[in-house]
Amino acid sequence: MKHLRRFFLKFYLLFANAKVEAELAREIGAHLAMLEDEYLRQGMTPQDARRAANLAYGGVEQAKQLHRDERTFEGLGQIPQDARYTLRQLRRSPGFTVTAILMLALGIGATTAIFSIVEGVLLRPLPFPDPDRLVILGDVLEGSHCASCAHSSVTAPDIRNYMRDTQSFSHLGGYRQRLFELSGTGDPAAVNATRMSGEVFAALGVPPLLGRTFAQQEDEEQQQVAVLSYGMWRNRLHGDANVLGSKILLYRKPYTVIGVMPRDFEFPLNPGHVNQSELWLPLSLRPEEFTAGSAASWNSRMVGRLKPGITAEQAQSDAERVAREMMRDYPAYMRSLRIHAVVTPLHEDTVEQARPLVRTLLFAVIVVLLIACANLAGLLLVRAIRRRREIAVRLALGARAATLLRQAIVESMVLSIAGGAIGLALAALALRVGVSLLPETLPRVNEIGLDWPVMLFALGLALLTGFLCGLAPAFAAIKTSMNETLKEGGRTGTAGSGHARLRSALVVAEIAVALTLLTASGLLLRSFQRMRDVKLGFRPDNTLVALYVLPQQRYATQSAIDEFTKTLLNDLGQLPGVDAVGITSFLPAAGNNWSIAFTIEGYVPAKGAGLNMAAMSLVESDPFEALGIRVLRGRVFTESDNAGSQLVAIVNRKMAERYWPGQDPIGKRLRRGLPETSTPWMTVVGEVDDVKLGSRDAETMPQVYQPVTQTVASEGVVASVGELSATDGWIVLRSRMAPEQMEDTLRATVRKIDPQLPLYQMQTMEHAISKSEAPRRFNTVLISSFAIAAVLLSVLGIYAVIAFSVALREQEMAVRMALGCQRSGVILFILSSGARLAAVGCALGLLGAVAASRLLRSFLFEVSPFDPGVLALSAITMLLLALAASALPARRASSADPMLALRGE
Amino acid sequence: MSNKEKESIQLLQGTLDLIVLRTLATMGPQHAYQVATRLQQISDRLLNLNQGTLYPALVRLEQYGWIKGTWGRTESNREAKYYEITKAGQKALGEETKTWRRMSALVERLLLEES
Repeated sequence: MKHLRRFFLKFYLLFANAKVEAELAREIGAHLAMLEDEYLRQGMTPQDARRAANLAYGGVEQAKQLHRDERTFEGLGQIPQDARYTLRQLRRSPGFTVTAILMLALGIGATTAIFSIVEGVLLRPLPFPDPDRLVILGDVLEGSHCASCAHSSVTAPDIRNYMRDTQSFSHLGGYRQRLFELSGTGDPAAVNATRMSGEVFAALGVPPLLGRTFAQQEDEEQQQVAVLSYGMWRNRLHGDANVLGSKILLYRKPYTVIGVMPRDFEFPLNPGHVNQSELWLPLSLRPEEFTAGSAASWNSRMVGRLKPGITAEQAQSDAERVAREMMRDYPAYMRSLRIHAVVTPLHEDTVEQARPLVRTLLFAVIVVLLIACANLAGLLLVRAIRRRREIAVRLALGARAATLLRQAIVESMVLSIAGGAIGLALAALALRVGVSLLPETLPRVNEIGLDWPVMLFALGLALLTGFLCGLAPAFAAIKTSMNETLKEGGRTGTAGSGHARLRSALVVAEIAVALTLLTASGLLLRSFQRMRDVKLGFRPDNTLVALYVLPQQRYATQSAIDEFTKTLLNDLGQLPGVDAVGITSFLPAAGNNWSIAFTIEGYVPAKGAGLNMAAMSLVESDPFEALGIRVLRGRVFTESDNAGSQLVAIVNRKMAERYWPGQDPIGKRLRRGLPETSTPWMTVVGEVDDVKLGSRDAETMPQVYQPVTQTVASEGVVASVGELSATDGWIVLRSRMAPEQMEDTLRATVRKIDPQLPLYQMQTMEHAISKSEAPRRFNTVLISSFAIAAVLLSVLGIYAVIAFSVALREQEMAVRMALGCQRSGVILFILSSGARLAAVGCALGLLGAVAASRLLRSFLFEVSPFDPGVLALSAITMLLLALAASALPARRASSADPMLALRGE
Repeated sequence: MSNKEKESIQLLQGTLDLIVLRTLATMGPQHAYQVATRLQQISDRLLNLNQGTLYPALVRLEQYGWIKGTWGRTESNREAKYYEITKAGQKALGEETKTWRRMSALVERLLLEES
């Protein structure tokens, strides 16, 4: 009890020091006065009385110190004093101070910025109540081998069946994201909307900011209601408080606004900024979505909340049971399909793809921080060696080792906290600029920022850095042998060999980690270069593209659609300067490929080979010419390939080589769907070059092109009743002018045909490509800039160490030269000591690069993580930089006048 | 060094607290000077004590909550900080005294046996 009371008082007094000191001084003053009175009474002169009083009291300062030690924690109470002492010391060497603080600010700032990404993207719980219970339910299609299948998906019948037949979910619903034409509020615009079951809102459990969300019943009753995002409400509807009950037009159909979600509500948690949902509509599946081809389109996803006590595994086996029932009921045309139900935690599903990138960034930035730490430790060590005599004198005068240790650590802490504060400011700045540059592959980017966890991280990092950096030089300082140092007198000599080893170790470590990072950046640059060398399969120059979607409200019949398309192509073709024009359902480089299964005549797949998937593009007019896709064999589509004529297809080289190796694909036949699906044959009339549908570093898919006019006919039994084709497409325009100049012309032409029809994502093909390269460019630029920082810092480290050891050995050099050693000999001598450090560091660094290769492998493209060229080049660069860093001190040493140096002592 | 200092004894660790508590308990509120004077009187000047060494003991006891200091005036109208024993201090004094008696009896017995 008494100890507890005392502990708190001692702690409290750490902060009330000034008050207690004043009171103590007052008490001691009173005490001395009374002693003096006593001595005066004994007949002493006032002078003698004062001296006698002081003598009897016995050292005012000692008493004060004893009092201090007793009333508060020993040492801790000294920290403010130590800090003041440190500040005084640091003010005396501003060059050192500024270098050290900036170095730490760079290290801590970069680490904090990257950590805020890690925290926002990976670590922070999802913004829903009880987020661990949220899961994604979907199918994995056996043998589909498609890249986009990393995310499990479901069909419309799946949504109905899983919702009806599973028992493990308290709420479960399907959702599907789509572009909608929004009108009735200013210019028509495209908005990202999510159609979802009413159950999804219930599963997520986030209450709306205004109004209400829709329920499952409204979804099933096909009510036309909409819930807006906060951003949409503020930006497009000007934050109108009376928005509830008002109507907005989506594809020219009226929807009633019933609610607005809070600012931080985001669903689905898509990567990047661009694809975020701006409004939510009931899924309201239409009857035709349960039949024919739609029943075999895995184009939706499902999210659910597990019932209390049910694990994800239990839910998965429950869903698997439902999946088996569904497969039994599959219509004839998809009988051979095999699916598996998968239940993934929503958090896992969201961050899965971002994890390697974020981890690599964190790794890179920690390397930079480590180098900065090593440099600071080196600088502090040098300072400790310089102050050897001062330390020895203080030890001789009775300073305790613990005090020296404490002061050394306080010094490095003061530096690191200052560095941390500046670093935090740098991180805030970097985030303000940087978040918009983040690649579109990262989810939850809006949640990235400097919040409390990040601030605490930065503070902790600063303290840890300071402590660790201070430790090495601190121990070096107290190991100082008092006698030796004092005996050396004025001679500087060549002492401190033990410390020299520590300094060398620091430099070797720096070079090693810097080289690891340099190699990583070299490999990424090489990958980027390799990617740029990949042929796109089309010519992106002078090409303008734009997407349109025809609203069903106005284009309800196939003839209305065909009329629009015909007029559009005709009008565009007649524009001056236009070389070629075409429409395609999928745009190269846009990444949104859509694969379907094909059956190829006479092709017997190897056992377990899976489905014959190919990316399907529906085209009209001549997008091959407009996109500059080379025709290798046969012909392109003509006007006469229409709904009534023989069904035709064009394949790419990859498709031809896979299914008809060594043969002419012209005249071969293939059809949509599985062998049991009854669809008509299409005849191959041409073969074209492989086209990159996604980014250049993605694998080339087998591709099939088909005239859009023949879509419905080729779908055979899977075509739904009244299915319309050509309702949307990318207009591709190749012109002799700069494509930017064509933008207004294209817009005007479309407006003339339908004044209300908006064009989406109008851009040049070059822009589309650069967007597809952005994630790789981002990785490369960021890692490279970290590598440059690391290399610069480590070169600085080498320079500091060599320069310092040269300065220490100035006299030795002078003696050597006086005894006849050539200047070149001195230069060689110093260079070789630098080179030795660099060589050891490089050897270790190459080992580090090998160790880091696993982390890096997923980011490389057609480059081995052990690429000898890159490894050799990085190592040689590092060696040369190290030599250059030691050349400067070497020159300085060799140009010193031996007589001056000898006389100097 | 003077003869007198050679004869003087060093204070045993922990005994100063007991002495200060005891002094305050019998003499009533005292300031540091009075406590120091009293110490020298009763020890017959054998106790080699700088008056300043009293201060850590005072702050320790105060932090335990055994004594309490208040500013007041001396008879000669000088200001001084008077220390007064608290209730907890009285109790602690009783316990410490018992412990001390047991301890000294033990040591005494040991010394008797050996001589």
